Order: sequence, then structure tokens, then C-alpha cells
Amino acid sequence: MSEPAVGKAEGTLSFTDIEATICHIAHIIEEDKLYFVQMAGAPLFALLLAKRLRAPGVGYVVEEGAVAPNPIFPLPRMMLGASRSHYRAVAWTSMNMVDAHAALGFMDYGLLAALQIDQFGNFNSTFIGGTYDHPERRFGGPGGANEIASQCWRTLIMTKQQKRKFVHKLDFMSSPGYLDGTPGARERVGLPSGTGPYRVITEDAMFGFDDETRQMRLIGLAPWATLEGVLAEMEFEPLIADKLERMKAPSEEELNIIRAEIDPGGFSTSRGKWMTVDAATGLRAG
Amino acid sequence: MTTLDIIAEGQGQYLKVDPDGFREWVRDHKDRAMVPKVMSEKEAVEKLVADGDYLVYECNYLQRGPSALIREVIRQRKKDLWVGAKFTWVAAALLVGAGCASKLDVGFFLFGPVVEQAIREGRVQAFEYSNVVMTNRLMAGAMGLPFLPVRSFGGTDGFKYSGAKLIQDPYTGEPITIVPALNPDVALIHVHQADVYGNARIFGTGISHVEAAFASKKVIISTEEIIDTEEIRRDPGRTTIPYYAVDAVVHLPFGAYPGEMQGRYASDMGHVIEVVGATMRGWIDKYLEKYIYGVSSHAEMMDKLVGYQRVKEMMGRATIKEGYGA
Repeated sequence: MSEPAVGKAEGTLSFTDIEATICHIAHIIEEDKLYFVQMAGAPLFALLLAKRLRAPGVGYVVEEGAVAPNPIFPLPRMMLGASRSHYRAVAWTSMNMVDAHAALGFMDYGLLAALQIDQFGNFNSTFIGGTYDHPERRFGGPGGANEIASQCWRTLIMTKQQKRKFVHKLDFMSSPGYLDGTPGARERVGLPSGTGPYRVITEDAMFGFDDETRQMRLIGLAPWATLEGVLAEMEFEPLIADKLERMKAPSEEELNIIRAEIDPGGFSTSRGKWMTVDAATGLRAG
Repeated sequence: MTTLDIIAEGQGQYLKVDPDGFREWVRDHKDRAMVPKVMSEKEAVEKLVADGDYLVYECNYLQRGPSALIREVIRQRKKDLWVGAKFTWVAAALLVGAGCASKLDVGFFLFGPVVEQAIREGRVQAFEYSNVVMTNRLMAGAMGLPFLPVRSFGGTDGFKYSGAKLIQDPYTGEPITIVPALNPDVALIHVHQADVYGNARIFGTGISHVEAAFASKKVIISTEEIIDTEEIRRDPGRTTIPYYAVDAVVHLPFGAYPGEMQGRYASDMGHVIEVVGATMRGWIDKYLEKYIYGVSSHAEMMDKLVGYQRVKEMMGRATIKEGYGA
């Protein structure tokens, strides 16, 4: 179960790594843009948090064909495909139809989660460890992520700041980033030009990509995070921006909305690594 | 004459592409007369699902899927099915766990120890796609075409283990990925309303029920409600699948159980946790015994293992009616 937003010591906030990432993403969601969102879990929660708090005009589609829903809060547990998650959409279409909308260039942003990512923003959701024929852990496959990563103008990818997530070499490339990073790599395999990963967001940091080399670049740090700490949790070394942005900490209001309205019961968001920070400074407390 | 260059191609096995063969199947087997097609789920699956068939189903076991029909396929111990595992959670794993499936085209489904082990031991082969590439393939199949160009999927490892190819588009001169049409042997689709001829209405979002219905050689519809054809004719815009695509209509109220049927009933959360747990912890045998082999039909399962109180509670939680035909 979720803990209260205000921590045990006065003036502190406690939250999970997933809640922190949700808030970081919510802070960069743009009003009046159209998002193609992975339908379940944290990516959708981030968009809904932004929509609920400050960007009511943000639109989104999900792969099963709902266009611009206004779901009812509190949301149900496991809202995969539930009628409540499609409530008051402007259209109910089909998977092929929303995919065509993405192929046509309507999707400003894609928003999804990755199990494993490399320096060019390619990512894996198929298997981890072992070989393709003898995987240690097999996962469900790309689902809707491949088309989001292939066709949206800019793709936002969330993952955890862990060494096993930021790897030199993916076990399997389920969805494309900038492929081998060479100019025109995506176009050479038939993907629409001018598309690709835009931000990678973790609980501790935010990354962009170099316009020329397409390598991942660290551009922001959470208030509690350090450069050394972030680099220690990556197998490859990213480029580092000249000036690192200091990201905002989650607010009490944001955490309350996540816990009471978006993921009541903490089914998805309370599982993870907890941290406690000073509410005023965002620095680690205690 | 110039030949079209294939720049790259996947090595995955794919169901033979044969649009003319499909046309002949339609000519010889699909009834163009409006004839009643109502039958029991036992009869429909006996008649229309054969060992070795390529099987697709629309939506999934937890959401407006043909859950009762999937259970009947398992109950009849069909073998060697090739399953189009797109946008699905537990159903593909149940089919593997029950020994019904030997090949999977993967879009997305809930893996777990049972499937992992089956793949490691070579009892099941997986071929890699994505949800949308699978619905694109069905779209091609439903259009009578051999393939469809797509703007996704290129450059991935999935491409290598699929039936996709990268070619130079003869119109723009640019590279483009093409994916093979899919014409399954059989499609299972659960709908809100249908008449006895198979004119069917689905309310809400869809994955690819229209494409699956037209792309498949044999189509079994299960329906919450059978309505008069006069009602269909009064509002034809709401018909999602017309009769000539359909081979069997099975009247199965609560046919999506334990999943949600939008506008009619919510999912049974207790059962959902039970079946997801069975899949993820390798207890599939226990689940199959209790809910499938241990009963003779959907009706018997609903009577003996679900019951009036839970049905009433599920219906009570389906508070959103707008757009679902109510």
C-alpha cells in the first residue's frame, strides 16, 4: 500500500522511483499536443497526471483505438482496456486505424517504457539473458511499442536508472531508436524520416540525443541525484551536457493525485525503491 | 523488365501467403445465403477448429475476448495450433500450457514459466512481430492482398525472426518494409449483439475484429445477445461484421468471462488474479482442471463455479453504458 505523501518527519516527502519518474515526465508533457501512449501503467499515468493538473488539452491515443479519452478518476486497478479508460473518448477506432494516424504524422510524441536501452535509444521488451533460442527471462514482446517508437515525431522513453537497463548491447532490439547512429539509419530501413527517441527519463535523470552522432546525452539531474551516481548506474558512458538542468522534485499535490486518483491502492506505483527527500530542497532527508 | 530488389528479409516461418487460394476457399465454403448459423460452442469448435489450424482471436481473455470459445478449444484438446498472439495476456499461455499450441506469432502476450519452458524445450516456436504488424498482416489478408507495406518494424531484431522483408519501393524509390498477409484458418470473436445469420455488432474500441473476420477461412462469433435481423436493418451503421463473413453464431452470455464486456459487466477481479497467477507461477494445470476440463460447457462453469451473486456484482460494476448499445 502507498504511504502518505508527507513523510514521517515534517517537511519531507517520500515516494517511489516510479512515482518520481511519472512526475518528471508529467513536467515535460506539452499542452495541446497529441501523444501515442503505451496503454497501461506508468507512461499513461504520467500523461494523466499532466492532464489532470495543468494540461487539460493534451490529447492521447492508445493502441486499441481510443482517441482522446477523458477517463474517470479514480481509475480502476489494471485498467488495460477497461471501459473506464476509454470513457468519453472522441472516437473509438481500431488498432490499424490509430497506427495509420501515427504513420500519417499526427502523433507529436510517443510515450512508453523500456526494459533495456542502448546509447542510441534502441530498446528491448522481448527477452533478457541467455540467447534468443534459450532465453533466461522471456517477456511479452514489443506490443504497441514498436509502432510508437517507429512513427511518432518524438519518443519519450521511461526506464529505471540501473546498470542492467542502460547497456552496451541489447539482448534483443524489439523497437528502434537511432539504430547504429549513422545518418539516415532509420530511413534506410523504411522508417519515416525526422522521427526517433527524444528523451529518456528515469527517477534520477533525463537524457536527450545528440543531433549529429545520435548518442544519448545526459541533460538533467533530479535534485537528489549526482552525476557520479547516475553514471555508476549505466554500462555505457553518455555524452554530458555543458550545463545540467536541475529537475524539479515531485510535489505533494502530484503525489496525492497519483495515489488517490490515478493509481488508487498503489497497484503499480508503490512497488519500487522508496526515497525520502526534503520537500523544500528535494535533497535526500534522513 | 526489372526485378524488385529485396534489401533484407527475416528468417521467420510464416503462414503461406495464398490470396487466390483464399478466394477459392471463399467461393467453395463461405455461405452467401442468409442462413441461420446458431449452434452450441461444442458444435462450433468441433466443426470449425481443426488440429494444425492457424487460430486468431480478438481482444483477449481479460477484455471482451472470446474467453468461453477459447476454453472450449482447450476442452476439446485441439493440437498443434499456430496462434496469432497479439494484444493478449493469458490466453496464449493457457493454450500453450494445455498443449494446444505449437507455434506463436508474437505481438504481445503474457509470458511466464510455462511458455518459457515450452520455448526452451522446443515444444513451441515463436516468431516475432508487434501487435500492429499482426493487425497489418490481417488487414492485408482481409483485403485479398499478398502483403502490406508498413512504416514500422524495420531495423529491429524482431524483423530478423519474422516473415517481413525490406524492399525498394518502386514508386518513391525509398526503402520500405513489407509484411506477409495473414489469412488464418479460424477466428474467434466475441460480440455484444448478433442475429442468427451472423450480422454482428461490437461496441467500443476494437483491435482488428473486422479484419480478422474477413481474413479468416472460418469465423466463429459468440454473442452476449441474439437480436432480430429487423433491428440490424433499422440501424445498419452499427453492424461491424456482416453475415457472409461468419460461419457460426454461438449464444454465450458472459462469453468474455472473466474479462470485461464493456457496457454489460465488469471483469471478475478474483478470477483474473487466479488466472494471471496460474500463468505466471506455472499452476496452469490446476486452472485448466478447475475451469475447463472439470466442466462440460460455459453454462456449467457459470452455474457451478461463478454463480448468481458474482454475476450480479460484475453487472453492478459496469456503470458506464454510453456508447455500448444500452
